[in-house]
Amino acid sequence: MFEKSLVDLIRGLRGHKGNEAEYIQGALKECRTEIRSQDLDVKATALLKLIYLEMFGYDMTWAAFNVLEVMASPKVMQKRVGYLAAVQSFRPDTEVLMLAENLLKKDLTSPSIPILTLPIITLPHIVTSSLALSILTDLLPRLSHSQPAVRKKTIVALYRLALVYPETLRVAWPKIKERLLDEDEDSSVTAATVNVVCELGWRRPQDFLPLAPRLFDLLLAQKNNWMGIKIIKLFAVLTPLEPRLVKKLVRPLTKLIQETTAMSLLYECISGIIQGGILDMADSGVDVEEVADLCISKLRGMIVLDGDPNLKYVALLAFNKIVGSHPALVSMQRDVIMACLDDPDISIKMQALELVSGMVNSDSLQGVVDRLMKQLASSPSADDAANGHPDEGQTDMEQRLIPDKRGSENTPLSDDYRREIIARILDMGAHNTYANITDFEWWIEILVHLVRHLPADKDTTSRGLVDDTSSLGARVGAQLVDIAVRVKELRPEATRAAETLVLLSNRVIAFPLHGSGQSQVLRSAAWICGEFASYLTNSYEVLNSLIHETSESFGPRTLAIFVQAVPKIISQIAVTASSEWNVSRGSTMSLLLARTTEFLEKLSSHPNLDVQERSVEFLELLRLASEALSAQSTDSTEAPLLLTSAMPTLFSGMELNPVSAAAQKKVPLPHDLDLDVPINPDLPSILQSSQVADEDDSADDAFHSFYHNREAVQAMTSIQSQSYTPSSTVDHPSDTEAFSYQSAPESPGTLARRKAERMARNKDDPFYIAPADDSTPHHLHDIIRKSNGDEELDVDSIPIIDLQIDHTQTTATHHGGDEASRHPPSPRKKKPIRKFVVAADETLEPGDDAADGQLSQSTSQSQSQSQATSLSTTPVPHRPRSMSPHTGYGARGKAPVPVPVRPTRSLLTVDSSTLARLTLEGPAESESEIMRREAEEAEMAMALREVERKRLEMQREAERQRTVLGEGVDVEGTVVRRKKKKKQRVEVESEGAHLFQLGGGSGGVDDAPEGVVGLVKKTKTKTKKKKVPKVQSEQTGVDVDDAGLATGAGNGNVGH
Amino acid sequence: MINAVLVFNNNGQPRLTKFYSQLDTATQQSLLSQIFTLVSARPASACNFLPLPPLLAPAASSASPDAPTQITYRHYATLYFILISTSTESPLALLDFIQVFVEALDRLFENVCELDLIFGFETLHAVLSEMVVGGVVVETSLEKIVDGVKTSEGTKVKRRAVNSRDSGSSIGRGTGFAGLGWATGTGSSWR
Repeated sequence: MFEKSLVDLIRGLRGHKGNEAEYIQGALKECRTEIRSQDLDVKATALLKLIYLEMFGYDMTWAAFNVLEVMASPKVMQKRVGYLAAVQSFRPDTEVLMLAENLLKKDLTSPSIPILTLPIITLPHIVTSSLALSILTDLLPRLSHSQPAVRKKTIVALYRLALVYPETLRVAWPKIKERLLDEDEDSSVTAATVNVVCELGWRRPQDFLPLAPRLFDLLLAQKNNWMGIKIIKLFAVLTPLEPRLVKKLVRPLTKLIQETTAMSLLYECISGIIQGGILDMADSGVDVEEVADLCISKLRGMIVLDGDPNLKYVALLAFNKIVGSHPALVSMQRDVIMACLDDPDISIKMQALELVSGMVNSDSLQGVVDRLMKQLASSPSADDAANGHPDEGQTDMEQRLIPDKRGSENTPLSDDYRREIIARILDMGAHNTYANITDFEWWIEILVHLVRHLPADKDTTSRGLVDDTSSLGARVGAQLVDIAVRVKELRPEATRAAETLVLLSNRVIAFPLHGSGQSQVLRSAAWICGEFASYLTNSYEVLNSLIHETSESFGPRTLAIFVQAVPKIISQIAVTASSEWNVSRGSTMSLLLARTTEFLEKLSSHPNLDVQERSVEFLELLRLASEALSAQSTDSTEAPLLLTSAMPTLFSGMELNPVSAAAQKKVPLPHDLDLDVPINPDLPSILQSSQVADEDDSADDAFHSFYHNREAVQAMTSIQSQSYTPSSTVDHPSDTEAFSYQSAPESPGTLARRKAERMARNKDDPFYIAPADDSTPHHLHDIIRKSNGDEELDVDSIPIIDLQIDHTQTTATHHGGDEASRHPPSPRKKKPIRKFVVAADETLEPGDDAADGQLSQSTSQSQSQSQATSLSTTPVPHRPRSMSPHTGYGARGKAPVPVPVRPTRSLLTVDSSTLARLTLEGPAESESEIMRREAEEAEMAMALREVERKRLEMQREAERQRTVLGEGVDVEGTVVRRKKKKKQRVEVESEGAHLFQLGGGSGGVDDAPEGVVGLVKKTKTKTKKKKVPKVQSEQTGVDVDDAGLATGAGNGNVGH
Repeated sequence: MINAVLVFNNNGQPRLTKFYSQLDTATQQSLLSQIFTLVSARPASACNFLPLPPLLAPAASSASPDAPTQITYRHYATLYFILISTSTESPLALLDFIQVFVEALDRLFENVCELDLIFGFETLHAVLSEMVVGGVVVETSLEKIVDGVKTSEGTKVKRRAVNSRDSGSSIGRGTGFAGLGWATGTGSSWR
């Protein structure tokens, strides 16, 4: 029989271009038979082929057992294949792993270096906490192996063991430390140790402070730049804990920055200075400014001088880390950063964009935004450009691996990037309630232009409604509305901008071709046109655009707003026309009305209820208006009053103001309001006297007492507990049903109370449609008024809108000179073009954080939106420093339950959070903890003895059976041991270890020889099944185990 | 730490996949193709850092430093070398790491090319395991890596590198690593 080697397989693959999948299926089939072969050579070859195919996504987890077989091969090369297969194919649920334990132990003690290395490099991939526990004693001695190559790998393997089994470090750390401190140690081993220490370091920096002197020496020795980088990274974590380090570090670091030729080391020095917070430690006796200047100038050099995109990228990365704390330093480098915005590389662009939006201020905003706008305008969308793969020709696999030096293409902006730019522009503008905007006219223009550059929606189908409020189109629209409402002076401009968007003739120019976002933007624009119709330049055209038949294709939310805007504009037209009313105006008006009615008629059967309701309402109104118009004599010089005064009053009530979302919460509690005081102490008597109620109520009552007897009582008592005195409820518990309120004096209080009671009664009734919530304040108001008697405190009279405690506080005023001096921290423009007053959100009682707090509140929404839509790959600049010693002392000591609560982790993450719970230094442990651990250990030892005793007992029992039956089939050693271990671990976890001592017994039953008679076998499987719940629930464990024991004993009898 | 090392060619065919945490095959493949999509769209002049693919997009809740946040790649002729790592690794050092990796391969297979790596599948893994164990870099010295691989392969392997037969050709040994030279000098500087 001829088997394919890996080379044959690869050749075959290359020979079957086009139908590889078929060929692979055939090869897999062959492998399946070959891997069962008794010949280890064949087996290993098959396995190697499987590993190769696994790389292409062909699962090989089914071959796990064969992997073990090949791992156990005596030949090194086959062993290597086996171990490689384990690395590549073992998954967390691979069950054969425990069978590998002995093999791993054996290979770990092999005298041959190649064999010895195999388990060491494989362990990190496959280790589990139980495997770690058993393999630790064999792995640990390898730390003092004569070969440095073995030592360095062992150190790293131990680190990975510690990740799944933190106790590893307790024994391993002293030895690892020894390796690090040993000055004669091989440099590779030292480097590997430093790498491990660095990995451990950011989890538990406080444990590594004692190593600082040695690390410092290593850094100065500068033998290995890779190690230097790691040490600097570690120091960046240590300096916040030990500020004295800063003084020591600054000199060597600056020296390195000035002298080193290795860009990676230079960069890490700068990055270490930034991350270690050295720039913030002005009091440490270090000339921070000098260091900062050095860092910044080097970073600038990386961007400007080399022209290496990688250096550019990392420099921007470093800038992004400082921009939060030192925006001034960064904005001095604005020129180069802005240049990076035009870089063809998307990664660099994104970094620069993030940086720019972090450092923008009122001076630079306009320049930055204009630049970004130019970028949006000039580069073609990714859709338009051919999206071909650049290097089709380069598939010659015999080409030598030399660095890729293809020329740069002018890549079009991807939609993702467009989206990011627009989101960032909106953020920058809206930041701190438009604090950075000095020229609002310009800003409105920008917003209108932005509409044109809106990228196509990603996939409208899946995002659907969510997209509706958070999409960029909606955000642009929302900002237009926001400005129109907040900045009174700008309403004409904002309205004109909205007008240009709404006008049908402009839509082709104003909106992108693909039309996405149009609906959302138009919604806001239409609202502005309606609300501020008096500023419209061409209201006829706007109206025509709104009621044009194409409007019907918009979404219901947009349509609803259109419908609402239409009568507003009509009444505006009517008002302007009424000044010189004549026949022609009258006929124009009736024509307008007719067309609008036609439009609304179509919508009055719209599937969306909101649209339908609004259109039906206004349809009636407009019909009345046109009737009034036609009823008028043709030569009348006055427009009908319905059009000129009645309709406008519908819309011109209060002026709309932005109200802070938190305003409602801030309505102050009247100081004399005491909810515990009974509102009316004579209530019972009033209730008694009010036995007559109107018929509706009585019917209602009867109905309820009939159907909802119990609920009614409950509801009543709950009401009573709020407003009645306790005694009264006790006195009249049953009266409540018999009550009728018919003759109650129609005082507001009684009315309100009755209403409340009715509501309370009905609140659980699914068929009862509750009144709108706004009735509650009245109710409350009435109660208060009643309880306060003459004092006439009126919640409604607490001015919500008028109470602008201090205009300068709640209103961010934007004009230069004197205003700027009154608000020194906020950057203001120097040359005011116009004076704009941006109304802040209205709210009550501005707290101590007065204006700023509110402003940030009002912008927080838009910012959070931007973060949600942001596709930025790097975290936002203000993210918490990952290095902070947050996990430190609080969680010190060994957690009593060694079951780690693992947070949800992302793909590929190797969780190291378990390490945070472990202390490396013995003395850090408190007395009580040691005591407790000793007690635990003693308990565990006892439990172990007990388990062992039971096991022996059962084994003896089994042996007795075996001798009786004469069927000496040996019990599989590994299985027994495995079970025992499992139980030990369970005991550690649970307080009630004794429960499981019985478990040992039933384990013995399971271990009964395989060859016993069928009856025994049957009960055995039964016990096995029963055992499953035992491990999970401790409560039922006893019973099941007892049963197991009983059956075990029973079987014994049967056997006899 | 390094979370994964991937090598694939210009068509996205994998040549080496090594994940330092256990991951099922299907996810491995989708990650591979996502990264390929990202990386293949980049011009040669672009920097060697990739944005995160959708599969690795950070979960909003956890900003754990354990999460892989950096993808560093280098493109050599027909092959892309990808490193996925946490933010605790230095980006420029990782680029150098790839360079060392390729140079080590170049030493072991004279004038290494993609075909060498296809047929020298095991050696490719061996080189990597000399450099990284369990996601932690253990060796960055070219000589030690090459020695290590040679020890582990023993005398058994008599490799016939694809390009070695025409070593006298234009890109022969005479030019040394000129072709491999790291343009900015960051690579050669720290060894």
